[in-house]
Amino acid sequence: MSETILELSNVSKTFNGKPAVRDVSFKVQRGQITGFLGPNGAGKTTSLRMSLGILTPDSGTVSLFGGKPRPAALDRVGFLPEERGIYRKMKVIDVITFFARLKGVGAAEARRRGLAMLEEFDLPDVADSKVKTLSKGMAQKVQIISTLVHEPEFIILDEPFSGLDPVNQNALEQIVRRQAEAGRTVLFSTHVMEHAERLCNQIVLVAKGRKVFDGSVSQALGEVPRRVTVEAASDHDLRQILAGKGQIAREAPVDGNAVWTIDLATGTDAQDVLKACVDSGVKLARFEPVRAHLHDAFVHLVGASAAAETEAV
Amino acid sequence: MRAIYLIARREFLSYVATWGFWLSLASVPMFMALGIGMPILIENSQPTRYYVLVDETGGRLEAALEAQAEASRAEDLERTREAMREMFGDLPQVEAALAAQPQLSDERYLRVDVGETELDALRPYLTGGASFTAADGGHSLFAAVFLRQDAEGAIEVDYWSTNVSDGGLRSQIRNSLRDYMQTQYLIDAGVSPDLIETAGGLSPDVRELNPERTGDTAEVTAAERIPLIVSAMTAFGLWIIIFSVVNMLLTAMIEEKGNKVLEMMLASTRHHEILTGKLIGVAAVSATLLIVWGGMALLGTFGVQQVAAAADVPIAEILAAVLDPGLLLPALGYFIIGYLMYGAVFLAIGSLCETLQDAQTLMSPMMLIMMVPIFLVMMAIDSPDSPIVAFASWVPLWTPYLMLARLPHEVGMVEIIGTTAGMIAFAVFVIWGSGVLFRMGALNQANQDTVKGWFKIGGQKKPA
Repeated sequence: MSETILELSNVSKTFNGKPAVRDVSFKVQRGQITGFLGPNGAGKTTSLRMSLGILTPDSGTVSLFGGKPRPAALDRVGFLPEERGIYRKMKVIDVITFFARLKGVGAAEARRRGLAMLEEFDLPDVADSKVKTLSKGMAQKVQIISTLVHEPEFIILDEPFSGLDPVNQNALEQIVRRQAEAGRTVLFSTHVMEHAERLCNQIVLVAKGRKVFDGSVSQALGEVPRRVTVEAASDHDLRQILAGKGQIAREAPVDGNAVWTIDLATGTDAQDVLKACVDSGVKLARFEPVRAHLHDAFVHLVGASAAAETEAV
Repeated sequence: MRAIYLIARREFLSYVATWGFWLSLASVPMFMALGIGMPILIENSQPTRYYVLVDETGGRLEAALEAQAEASRAEDLERTREAMREMFGDLPQVEAALAAQPQLSDERYLRVDVGETELDALRPYLTGGASFTAADGGHSLFAAVFLRQDAEGAIEVDYWSTNVSDGGLRSQIRNSLRDYMQTQYLIDAGVSPDLIETAGGLSPDVRELNPERTGDTAEVTAAERIPLIVSAMTAFGLWIIIFSVVNMLLTAMIEEKGNKVLEMMLASTRHHEILTGKLIGVAAVSATLLIVWGGMALLGTFGVQQVAAAADVPIAEILAAVLDPGLLLPALGYFIIGYLMYGAVFLAIGSLCETLQDAQTLMSPMMLIMMVPIFLVMMAIDSPDSPIVAFASWVPLWTPYLMLARLPHEVGMVEIIGTTAGMIAFAVFVIWGSGVLFRMGALNQANQDTVKGWFKIGGQKKPA
């Protein structure tokens, strides 16, 4: 059974009477990459701050490495906040060394690791440059190095991809993968689903301060109705042929062919639809099972949550 | 402790690496040198003024002026001789130098004869149309002075000069002639010159005595006033240090907020550690400044000790007052608590603001509060027991300055303990409150508008 690194149990937090996080519970298991997903204002940053003890929950408990988020536990965590910045007037190597030393690494070792990581991140010549002389992308790399230099067991990244160009986003994905391969546990928040879909073993989805999903990516995708697109060269009415197999809609024709979309009912798969069409003599110009993405799951789950909340009100 | 040390160290090094720090370090000795050097420079850079004296009385008044000038010069030379003897002993070279009739510092006005005694003939020399030749080249005249006396003995002086700002010569002549007239009046009334000289030297012997003491010890000496002056100066010094240091804290905090480093720091350490580290780091900067300035002042004091002794400055008494543990220890305590109080407030203000402009709104009331003790300390120098000063001493933010200034004035023990306890309790409250504000400001959960909102009377009603 895998070890729980972080556990939030029924955590709530309110600011000036406005609830930011409401009764949220989830776990992060050792060695996994967990995506903490939700739209802007969903309570992701507040939850992460509570995970690190930067904010105290109004109710509920936070357990980090099996205890309260105390300084000894924080030394084992690397945190990259959403609002990024470092001391602009300091030298790059001094900044990295400073943050490593704050986490308990000795001065000489911190410097050695810092220089090695600058090499690894393709920034070998900037060690003695002032941070203010670096480009934005380089400064962000320096901050990521400062987050990882003490070789934390648990890495928390708050919206790490925001503000990065596609090349640097890809580079950051590689970094996250390498850290996971090295046995580290990663929790990152984002509202861009593509990164989560590519990287995560586990996702936690929040909306309006509440958790709406907690499970694997495939489980999340399983929440979205599977869809099949059929393009027919014959005049068959698929609503009659596929009755009971899901929700069927007729779309705008393409090249004179009728186009149908079928959101499959539970227990029905694409093969059933194909068989029914063939058995009925439908002349198929195209038959395309559509693969669901995390984005669809996100929209579906968040939409369902909002609908449930509206009904409750 | 590790985090506090590292944060304090970073703060300290970040200041030491700035030009501002080195300028501050150099500023005090620079200003001291300027303070001593400028008057000397100004004095030495004054040009020699040449004037013509025309005595229409046949030389009587001129002789009187010469006699006065000679007596004054003899007095000055004697004072200089005494001072030189104190500093260098009985050196023959000094005697030789003084015997050579040197020009003394106040002998800026030299009488010359340009061969003319009529105003019309002298006018071109006064207005720059003509010049005469002195040892150092050609010059025009600074002034032409005409002396006359009527039959009743009244003296008239016509002082002609295009320079209306430099009135030194005019005053010199007027004072000399006034003394001459007063002396002559008494002589004409039958008083002997010896009697007049004796009368001029008469002065009461005033003794200041302390009724709490008896016998020979009752007399109050000048040295006894030194601690009062030193304590007031220390209070001013304390104010200057705290004022400059808290501004450092404010700008550092705003810069840190602008750099958006705080949240990353908070993932490694806690609010109170950041707050404490910053306070200690900046205190170390001010301690460095104080140690360097103090060292320089001490070296300078020993360097000029001889001169100070010659000039009758009681340097030993001043040093004893400055180094008196009865003043030094309270000064240290008041500095620490005062610094913590103001430092914590300014750090909290900094954490709420993104720019210095944002901070100005919140700083204005604090600046007013900080300015008040300056005036009160001035008042405390003359009236340490004034009800206003005594009452203000109980205001915790002013206690460090006022109590420090009042300490040598026999303040009651109840007042000392009461004000100190109040100040410490207030400091704890302020540091706690600032910590809360800092925490909110660091995570952008509060800003300067939040604080302004607290002080809005009645607040604003939200629209329905």
